[in-house]
Amino acid sequence: MSALLYALIFLFPHLIFAQNCTLTISGQITDEHTEEPISYANIFLEESLKGVVSDTLGRFELKDICPKHYHLSISHIGCETQRFYIDLQSDTMLFVVMDHHSHDIEDIIVIGDNAVPTTQQVQSITAQTITENADENLSNMLETITGVSTLRNGNGIAKPVVHGLYGNRLTILNNGVAQSGQQWGNDHSPEIDPLVANRLSVIKGVGAVEYAGSSLGAVILVEPKKIAKEPHLHGRGSYFFETNGFGHGINAQVQQHIDAFAWKLNGTFKRSGDKRSATYWLRNSGAQEANFALQLEKSFSEKWLADVYLSSFNTSLGVLRGAHIGNLTDLEQALERDVPFFTEENFTYTINNPRQAVNHHLLKAHTKYFLSESQWIDLTYAGQLNIRKEFDVRKGDRDSIPALSLTQLTNFFEAKYERELPRETHFKTGVQFQFIDNTNNPGTGILPLIPDYFSSKNGAFVMLNRQAGKLFLEAGARYDYVYQHVATISRTLPREIVRFDNHFHNVSAVLGANYELNESLHLAYNIGAATRHPAINELYSGGLHQGVSGIEEGDENLNSERSLKTTLTLEGSVKDRLFFEVLGYFQHIGDYIYLNPQDEIRLTIRGAFPVFRYEQTDAQLLGADLSAEYHILENFNAQLQYSYLRGQDISADIPLIFMPANNLRFNLDYDIAKIGKLENIELSLTNRYVFEQTRLEDAQDFAPPPPAYLLTGIHLSAQRQLANSRLTLYAKVDNLFNVRYRDYLNRQRYFADDLGIGAVVGGSWVF
Amino acid sequence: MNNFKILFIALAAIALTLSSCKKDPEIEDPEEVITTLNYTLTPASGGAAVTLSFQDIDGDGGDDPIITVGALAANTTYTGDMELLNESVSPTDNVTAEVAEEDEEHQFFYQTTGGINIAYDDTDANNNPIGIRSTLTTGAAGTGTINIILRHEPDKNASGVSDGDITNAGGETDIEVTFDVTVQ
Repeated sequence: MSALLYALIFLFPHLIFAQNCTLTISGQITDEHTEEPISYANIFLEESLKGVVSDTLGRFELKDICPKHYHLSISHIGCETQRFYIDLQSDTMLFVVMDHHSHDIEDIIVIGDNAVPTTQQVQSITAQTITENADENLSNMLETITGVSTLRNGNGIAKPVVHGLYGNRLTILNNGVAQSGQQWGNDHSPEIDPLVANRLSVIKGVGAVEYAGSSLGAVILVEPKKIAKEPHLHGRGSYFFETNGFGHGINAQVQQHIDAFAWKLNGTFKRSGDKRSATYWLRNSGAQEANFALQLEKSFSEKWLADVYLSSFNTSLGVLRGAHIGNLTDLEQALERDVPFFTEENFTYTINNPRQAVNHHLLKAHTKYFLSESQWIDLTYAGQLNIRKEFDVRKGDRDSIPALSLTQLTNFFEAKYERELPRETHFKTGVQFQFIDNTNNPGTGILPLIPDYFSSKNGAFVMLNRQAGKLFLEAGARYDYVYQHVATISRTLPREIVRFDNHFHNVSAVLGANYELNESLHLAYNIGAATRHPAINELYSGGLHQGVSGIEEGDENLNSERSLKTTLTLEGSVKDRLFFEVLGYFQHIGDYIYLNPQDEIRLTIRGAFPVFRYEQTDAQLLGADLSAEYHILENFNAQLQYSYLRGQDISADIPLIFMPANNLRFNLDYDIAKIGKLENIELSLTNRYVFEQTRLEDAQDFAPPPPAYLLTGIHLSAQRQLANSRLTLYAKVDNLFNVRYRDYLNRQRYFADDLGIGAVVGGSWVF
Repeated sequence: MNNFKILFIALAAIALTLSSCKKDPEIEDPEEVITTLNYTLTPASGGAAVTLSFQDIDGDGGDDPIITVGALAANTTYTGDMELLNESVSPTDNVTAEVAEEDEEHQFFYQTTGGINIAYDDTDANNNPIGIRSTLTTGAAGTGTINIILRHEPDKNASGVSDGDITNAGGETDIEVTFDVTVQ
């Protein structure tokens, strides 16, 4: 009924309303963080085709408007375009707050539409940046955040590293659900489509006790937005083409909110062929991806809300053919070569072995019930099914048989209770149950590297925060009971099943404070202590890890890690021209579990292999992240980011391996509010300098870390308002000078150069 | 809060039930494994054969491999026959047959010292060597080494590869075994 009515209003407004076009819409636009007015914002009233630009005080006025329903769009450079649906019956005044992504340092965590204050340091990437980097995977997008690096295996397989920690020590929350999958491998990417998200955030502090994170590592949030309360069908379509690898991708989203029910559908398809380094093709480096997500929201009453989220991620990834080797001699030969074995002078989309085929499906059901205005409960169920198959170059007709075939099912239940207490105090508590069933699918013809297991984690947490004048305080504690039932297969003959049952207790506690020294200077301090139980791979890995050409052995007698981390952040601005943030951190990990290369070279019929064993030591991580932005002119900005990290094994007094090299980013942005019909024109020049990782001893790696490199890129984007929709077009060039380089954290560096020059053009259309 | 309590107990019960089951993995028969290499050398002029063998039945790790080396006679020509077995499965899998079937994708490389020379004595469909059959000749008495490498998917057309030079071969090593031999 109402949809029909809206349609009528939309089509025949003259029939319904008397023509009295004397109304005015006026307002002011301010920046969410600095609270400064935003000038040169474009305001457009779609149905009347009227547009204005905000003045130096951020004010605007649209006159002589007829009373009816309108879509009002407000856009500004560096901000996500906002759209309002308004029923105009009288003169209206709007106060609009916009989130400026250029200085995206925040002291809030945005979950859905809620902004939760925190003492932890949070940095985010917003929708526009995500859309304009649609060719990148999740980790590559996150890398633009200070202190975040990427552990890669070629260009398609990438996992984030934050403050030197990765894999099992990081928590990635996809729509509030901890991503569960084969997190242990350095050659396993998180199975998440970033195009579903409207915001990617990295919480860099001491972790949040609310999530069963581990070792005080960072928390990465992938957050789709709540569906806008809009009765019309809205959506977005986007497309990109990249020259390197002749890749292209489309993404489509549609959503609608009718009465108390809202739905949103999202689909992505991406494909690229062999990529090219500066001078040669990278054979078998293509990738394909097809994903979809469905989001449903329903409010049963003012007090009772529910939502369901269903997503499916499916990918096929090629691994560089020349990176597939047999033994240590092969690796030594590969290291000596300038151009990898199997390099060919032609392009192909075909993905051959070695390759990975991964499917990840998620179903989340959540409900929220308000017991009163100041207290509510949240119940969540999440199920995840992860299917990973890795195909090797094999003998006979075994190429179609996976060398590794794992299925992991994760069930998760959570109940949370929150309450607003007097004196700006907020209390939150909850219980969580997670159950993982990991199975090696038989028929691979290879003894599994990771055993079959069940694992359950039952935990409870409590959190309290309070705003007391200029001081914000936060405290939390968490306990988890972990049970592992593992069935390993003996390495000696006759082969038999050897079972292990393990029980662990993890405890963590965090404390934090924010203090506003003055209006333009904030100080934040965090301290946390936590234990992390050894993961299955650390305990029971056994055998040849073909991807890394080494024999990996777990140690069933490992203890839990004990970690202490502290961070100090100073954030401020000078005369609203210079914005800066300095974050220093220190982490001590007692009984740090790591893969230690052994003196032993094991003789097998295939030749010699290095042996790596999971061992424990005491480790220290010391680092700093610096970000600064300077407004040279109103529309001309310079940005600088620097991250420094020093990881040390303090027992053996040697550096820790796989620590990101220090790096520097320097960007220049030039903005033009309007040229003809084009709006929000943004031109940026980006530079990324990665230092050589000098903190490594020769005996710790097969080859010394590669030299430092500088990558330059340019990015141009512009928008255009159409009658009922908005078009964004962008073009960018990465590695503009076609620099030959290798990155220390990319395992492919033993075999081949990293990516050469590549241009991307794309656009998105929002209606 | 009562509902909360019931829920907690229910969830705990589910978790407990699930965790009480047992994992029963199927023990995989390792298929592609080569456990044994036998290089049988028969004197061209007749007489008893000499065998060089490398046997590691439990695969990577576990017990150390068993290496047996027979002594070679000086200034003698031998016919070499390569045999590869997977003895970890029953019945024993003959891997030599698999290599012969995919002969274009496989090549043995023989690297020697101590006056020993090994030449190819077989070819694939493209007239490139395989190395399942070979001819070994010894020189004067002394000691030497024989290094045997089997490559999967080498580039047989790359420079020097068909002459037995491994430098430009590429591919993956399936076997790499070195024997210390005595020539008497």
